[in-house]
Amino acid sequence: MLNSFRKLPSQNLGRSIRSFLFFILFYLYLWLQVDPRLIYHGGETITSFPVFFRGWSFFQQFLSYPGGLTEYLSAFLFQFFYIGWAGALVVTLQAWLICACTDYFLKAVNAPRLRWVRFVPPILLLIIYTRYSYHFTTTMALLTALLFVFLYLRLLPKSRLLSMVVFIILSVILYYIAAGAYLLFAALCAVYELLFNHNWRMGLLCLLSAAIIPYIEGALIFGLNIADAFSELLPSSPKIFAYEARKRMVTIVFILYLLLPLTALGLRLWQIPAEKKVKKKPRHKSTKPGAKILSWYTGVPLLRWAVESCLLFVIAGTVVFSAQDNELKTLLEVDYYAYHRMWPQILEAYHRHPNSFFIVNAVNRALYYTGRLSSNMFSYPQHPDTLFLTSKRHISAFWKKADVYIDLGVMNMAESALIESMIRLKERPQILKRLAFISMVKADSGAARVYLGALSKTLFHADWANNYLAKIESDPNLSTDDQIQHLRDMMMETDYGFTNYVPERILLALLQKNRYNRMAFEYLMAWHLLTGQLDKFVQNLDRLDDFDYPGIPRNYEEAILIYEVLTGSKVDLKGRQITQSTYQRARGFSDISNRLHGSNQVTAMQATAPYFGDTYFFYYNFGHLTTAE
Amino acid sequence: MKRHYYLFWLCAIVMSLATLSYFFLHPSIPIIDEYISVNKMPVIRPDYTDTVIPPNIAPLNFVVKEQGMQYYLKIHSAKGNNIDVFSKTGRIEIPIGQWRKLLNINRGSKIYFDIYTKDKISRWVRLKTITNSIANEDIDSYLVYRKILPVHSNWSQMGIYQRNLENFDESTILDNRFHGGICLNCHTFYNNRPDKMLIGIRSKKYGSSALLVEDRTVNKIGTKFTYVSWHPTGRLAAYSSNKVHQFFHSARNEVRDVIDMDSILLYYLVDSKTVKTSPNISKKQRLETYPTWSPDGRYLYFCSAPMLWSDRNNVPPERYDEVKYDLLRISYDLKSDKWGELETVLSTKDTGLSILEPRISPDGRWLLFCMCSYGSFPIHHQDSDLYLMDLSAQHTGQFEYRRLQINSNQSESWHSWSSNSRWIVFSSRRRNGLFTRSYLSYVDKAGKVYKPILLPQKDPLFYDSCLKTYSVPELVTKPVQVTGEKLARVIRSSRKIPTRLPITMATPKAGVIPEPWEERE
Repeated sequence: MLNSFRKLPSQNLGRSIRSFLFFILFYLYLWLQVDPRLIYHGGETITSFPVFFRGWSFFQQFLSYPGGLTEYLSAFLFQFFYIGWAGALVVTLQAWLICACTDYFLKAVNAPRLRWVRFVPPILLLIIYTRYSYHFTTTMALLTALLFVFLYLRLLPKSRLLSMVVFIILSVILYYIAAGAYLLFAALCAVYELLFNHNWRMGLLCLLSAAIIPYIEGALIFGLNIADAFSELLPSSPKIFAYEARKRMVTIVFILYLLLPLTALGLRLWQIPAEKKVKKKPRHKSTKPGAKILSWYTGVPLLRWAVESCLLFVIAGTVVFSAQDNELKTLLEVDYYAYHRMWPQILEAYHRHPNSFFIVNAVNRALYYTGRLSSNMFSYPQHPDTLFLTSKRHISAFWKKADVYIDLGVMNMAESALIESMIRLKERPQILKRLAFISMVKADSGAARVYLGALSKTLFHADWANNYLAKIESDPNLSTDDQIQHLRDMMMETDYGFTNYVPERILLALLQKNRYNRMAFEYLMAWHLLTGQLDKFVQNLDRLDDFDYPGIPRNYEEAILIYEVLTGSKVDLKGRQITQSTYQRARGFSDISNRLHGSNQVTAMQATAPYFGDTYFFYYNFGHLTTAE
Repeated sequence: MKRHYYLFWLCAIVMSLATLSYFFLHPSIPIIDEYISVNKMPVIRPDYTDTVIPPNIAPLNFVVKEQGMQYYLKIHSAKGNNIDVFSKTGRIEIPIGQWRKLLNINRGSKIYFDIYTKDKISRWVRLKTITNSIANEDIDSYLVYRKILPVHSNWSQMGIYQRNLENFDESTILDNRFHGGICLNCHTFYNNRPDKMLIGIRSKKYGSSALLVEDRTVNKIGTKFTYVSWHPTGRLAAYSSNKVHQFFHSARNEVRDVIDMDSILLYYLVDSKTVKTSPNISKKQRLETYPTWSPDGRYLYFCSAPMLWSDRNNVPPERYDEVKYDLLRISYDLKSDKWGELETVLSTKDTGLSILEPRISPDGRWLLFCMCSYGSFPIHHQDSDLYLMDLSAQHTGQFEYRRLQINSNQSESWHSWSSNSRWIVFSSRRRNGLFTRSYLSYVDKAGKVYKPILLPQKDPLFYDSCLKTYSVPELVTKPVQVTGEKLARVIRSSRKIPTRLPITMATPKAGVIPEPWEERE
């Protein structure tokens, strides 16, 4: 007795140190490896971004339906993902609380050997975040339900009547706070009362209330439809299942919800036959060597602690690292860099996932801004659809398209794309910022004020908004804002009605408005090169005079040579010269092509790629074979 | 015992915080015995100055856009106690009880807003008094509108809401958040009464239909209703069925535009549950839309334009910007269910503009309508304005009409009359070119339309960050009683009143339910 009394504090200390280490690593992994800023940014992958605005009127909306308070709190906390370390801290705290509640419940059902289960939810949470999926609201609802289980077990009065009253009060409150997650609370209370506390009346009340409370409170009082009344905030909610993007990793959330009830149920099923055995036959000390080792092992607490800790970290590490989705991470990174105009980082990140049209689209922008689009674009796998994401498959990539449109000066297209984006992705600050900016470029200060007004109520973008609101107040024309003035100079003025985006028409209209719109020019030429319209490319070569290129850009030289070979005519370069190195590349490419004449296209492509893969010669001949996404 | 101890301290802290915040947020009204007067009208937002206000309207909360350390507002009228409001920020929130009382006992009188600001040297400055008039006639107590983000092609958050105009309560009639993203179209009431209404629904999942609400009974009619007008007897509803397409503008300030590639007028007989039409309102080469009944039920007014294209799938069609609608009317005899001959009420040849959205005041005297440069969707036309036609003054076969002074340089569009014909509500983008808001205007017996007031909100800065647009505002006398849950249940239900369209001149493609214009082919 005395021995065990001495052991207890050291065991607890050991557990605490292990937990502390676990959550320190958990936090560091989230912060440095996952990077919550990418989840906040979300690109167009995370469609359930929770919008948060400061102020009573925004908060009030959440009071009108069950689960609103959890949604509000989740929306508030999720904003901290904007700052990497703060987002990681929020998730770590959430995981720690879930872990602590799980531990408390396992203690309450007298399952000391199963207390390692408390680390399962944090590991599952890590998987969710490692795969860059958003289930923060659902897991907050889970946490709320577990906190109420903790409260119930803590408050549990001895009087049966009083426990029923406590349960009913907690149920009514919890359903209002966390809607469908209340079912988890009812289930855990029922399992506890029926199987461990042997209070079958209370257990039945728990089960009955799981059916009645959502119906009365959700459907009758708050007017939700039956399905929503029972599933709101649960992973089974139609709000998740109606959208393909939101279903990612929902299985893990289901496991999170089912873990504790199933563990308790399994434990009880295992305990019943074990108890019978104990009654039949008293246990004798085993003399087998294995048992001796086990006995020695359990008798050395430090060793046991070290082995168990290592096991935990190895399992957690293996699970989490094997769950990594590097392709998605790269996509989100590139989107993040493109939004923040971090061009060198895009070109660096490209190599991690080169086959995405989205990434090549961003790469083209980065090449333009680093002055390399006209000379280096074929160093990357191009396709006619990468420049403007024009194919039907990318019809919903509004967010990505909008940035290209803004840069070019096609403000209406950008506005339309961003509003579509806002309808799909809600009023994200990144979208509001760009819409405000477009309104300012269009000199629609009224609309800009509304967007800026909304932004000024966000947590982390208010300064930007207030700064522009002050600017509009003092200088409605924004004449001192160079970026806005520059875009006004570029902005398209020819109006016509359309339903489909025709790049050539728009780019020519932009150049008609301002012949010095360099991006419109380079994108027009790139479009002609990508679509193989060399006659149109050559027709626009005269526009080189409008810009300060030192010579003819490399890819243009290559295209000119192809055109001359195909048509047999000489292009008037107005005194410009094609460089010797381009002639050499042309000869080299021609030699290899002649050598491989007769062999199939794929063989020819493979033989040519190492030497000429970055040339327009290569793209023109083999581009159609290399650009599958 | 320990728990009670904690509880006691928790309660004590909460009460202390509540008391402190009360005194912080509601500082006592200062006594202003000395001030200087300046000859300057105060700038307030929203602009609630020099206008006529309904005697039953919610407080017109506003922000004083003048420099000041503190602000004081005194509201007074001929009778009753003054209302004093004090603010440190310039946000004026008027106490609703005192406001309602003051308005009610001063119907037909003037109401004055005296605004004082405290300058940097702690001196009170009194600005010129704002004067408004209180109308004698109430506005219908409820406004029903649709709130939606500025939609382009898709929608996800959309709802029909009702606002109690006597206070700030807003409740949901139907929200698509919980119903699989259906599109909620126009809502139409019978004689400003909420117990009989139609709501148009479009949904991939549940199909296109109309919800017919009669008292608390809801039925789904299995055909698409676009613009609807109830006959004054409530026994039939005329409606248009439009093949609506959206397209975009490359450089115009308003990006969106909408065109009816084809449209037709039909009518639904409530008792017999049948849909009918007449050759004069469903001409093959014309686009008929926006039906509205005269209050005596003898005429159906509507808009009609020649169809300028043969390819009905090419959007936008060529010459889309030349389509202009005339305002026509046709007589109707309910007893015999017979339609008369078409009459042109106002021709685009005379106006040079497209005439749209006609609505007749319930007393039958005034016809309010929009005109814009082309097309059928005035909300997307910056040049769309409101016009008023006097139906009692016909000279040489023409009704007199005039452009209203209340128009702005932005789009004015959808409008509705109150049941007593003294108030109109209309949509306008006058605050900015994108977000539509609802405005209320008084119309006197002579047809003078007074400066509009923006639908008041509790938070006077509400519209400065409101990303939703308010469309299809309709005035009703009472709240809609049917619940959103019930409406949603009917939407989801497979039960519907089958409709057989009266025009069957072609065999529809197998398995495809034809739109009315396809039937007409």
